[in-house]
Amino acid sequence: MSGCSAKHPAAAPAYLSGLEPPATGQRVEMEGVEYKIAAPRGIDPASIFFVQVDKDKCQGCGECESHCPTGAIQEMYPDGQRGVVDPAACVNCGQCLANCPYGAIHEEVSYVGEIFEKLRDPDTIVVSMPAPAVRYGLGECFGMPTGTYVGGKMHAALRRLGFGLVWDNEWTADVTIMEEGTELLERVKHGEKPLPQFTSCCPGWVKFAETFYPDLNAHLSTCKSPIGMLGPLAKTYGAEQSGISGKKLYTVSIMPCVAKKFEGLRPEMDASGYRDIDATINTRELAWMIKQAGIDFASLPEEDPDPALGMSTGAATIFGTSGGVMEAALRLAYEVLSGNTLADPDIKVVRTHEGIRTADIPVPNFGTVKVAVVSGLKNAAKLCDEVRAGKSPYHFIEVMTCPGGCVNGGGQPLEPDMRQSSIFRSTIAKINRRFTQRRVG
Amino acid sequence: MKKIGTMTRRGFIKVAGVTCGYAVFGFNVTRKACAAAMEFVGIRQQSVYAADRKVYAIRKSQDNPMIKKLYAKDGFLHEGPCGHESHHLLHTHYHDRSADLKALRDKGVQLTL
Ligand code: SF4
Ligand code: SF4
Repeated sequence: MSGCSAKHPAAAPAYLSGLEPPATGQRVEMEGVEYKIAAPRGIDPASIFFVQVDKDKCQGCGECESHCPTGAIQEMYPDGQRGVVDPAACVNCGQCLANCPYGAIHEEVSYVGEIFEKLRDPDTIVVSMPAPAVRYGLGECFGMPTGTYVGGKMHAALRRLGFGLVWDNEWTADVTIMEEGTELLERVKHGEKPLPQFTSCCPGWVKFAETFYPDLNAHLSTCKSPIGMLGPLAKTYGAEQSGISGKKLYTVSIMPCVAKKFEGLRPEMDASGYRDIDATINTRELAWMIKQAGIDFASLPEEDPDPALGMSTGAATIFGTSGGVMEAALRLAYEVLSGNTLADPDIKVVRTHEGIRTADIPVPNFGTVKVAVVSGLKNAAKLCDEVRAGKSPYHFIEVMTCPGGCVNGGGQPLEPDMRQSSIFRSTIAKINRRFTQRRVG
Repeated sequence: MKKIGTMTRRGFIKVAGVTCGYAVFGFNVTRKACAAAMEFVGIRQQSVYAADRKVYAIRKSQDNPMIKKLYAKDGFLHEGPCGHESHHLLHTHYHDRSADLKALRDKGVQLTL
């Protein structure tokens, strides 16, 4: 059970010998979105644009603005074309990109070229670290119905791509619950750190809080996100379990997200003694890599991840949806606080579609746990203002940047309508522009 | 039509978009389009909860054998959650980025928040 399948790594898969990895600076379209090939390392991510508008493709409709939580994307040119004004204002959520009816917004960072090089390198073991939500979107790139669960096929595809260790970020979602749940219980019992505790797994939200509400930093859980935990665990505990030196491991974070590229580059993410996360890609880029390798995704068998840093639970997979982290944490907190077993793990009152959801959870031997779940940062700002005013009644608040959570992340496959840039959608965008217009003249 | 040629692109989009939008779809369409997008997200969300029930044999983090192994008495994180090694590897601190924001505002950039 040590997940040591890569101790004697097999030769690199055959497809790699015929493949020309895209070069730095090249622009590549992947699943309907354009990417610039660039693999930053040792750069402060706060200085990087992760998404930007192509001025020549922008029709000035303003749809992006209505999805941007901060106003970072705005009119920048005389003909009304938009642009991201400055990295400091952008939380890298990618919602503008996902909702642009003209496909005018591209990503500025893509590690796919470097990953193919590393897969080819006999001295490197490439480690996969896919997020929960990826497995609910990836299948759409291969013609499967919206939301199809493809976890098993995803693991199989990662092995065929040449990932030597198929570890899974869902395992560290379980670790996150242990750490963040324990932290919450300490806050409730000892009161050294303030309540409410905010979740910290969404890098869009964390950057937003650091920028607009830095006075609330002590309310953010000190826990890194699941990927922030898997990187350093892979290169320490994982190295120990697999018998491969952390130096040889190249860790690839695979996310439904754009902002996770920012998180992977945070200077402090080097707790393992190496860079904890070597590369970050999203669902669309993984789909593109699978297609480049000529893998017939639909006919792949279902495979498990390598268990030591891969085995996971239902509590982990629900991290992918708004309300999921809360429900997973409550499945732990209930048992610890009450001393009883939680017979039915479904805690449906915290499941939510969009906006703000609040709930009182009665826990025997404790009392009432008060929680709030929110997606969309404009909604989150309302809860932050309450905390700032000292009027927040909650113990625990879950925040996700993307409406509905990571399944709707900025790195997920585009909605089919958006992919086709249909007349219908672009007309809607034009109507929206009229209502969201900020300047006249 | 001649006029359009001399209009700025932005002006054209405004006029064409608005007239065509109202004529074809009426007022309610924006709201409906938003609803359709959220429905699409809802399908993915439902699939997550279905997998939680049907695909995963274990449904609580604390019951995962590989979690128990990690935090076991002789395990890698033997002090348990939020112990020393956890704090070193798994916990972090946050920055105050408000100065960047202030610099931007001082330059005259307006944001919605
Ligand atoms: S990535 Fe998000 S925060 Fe940045 S401009 Fe786009 S919508 Fe706004
Ligand atoms: S909600 Fe998920 S996908 Fe969206 S920014 Fe946060 S972590 Fe990324």
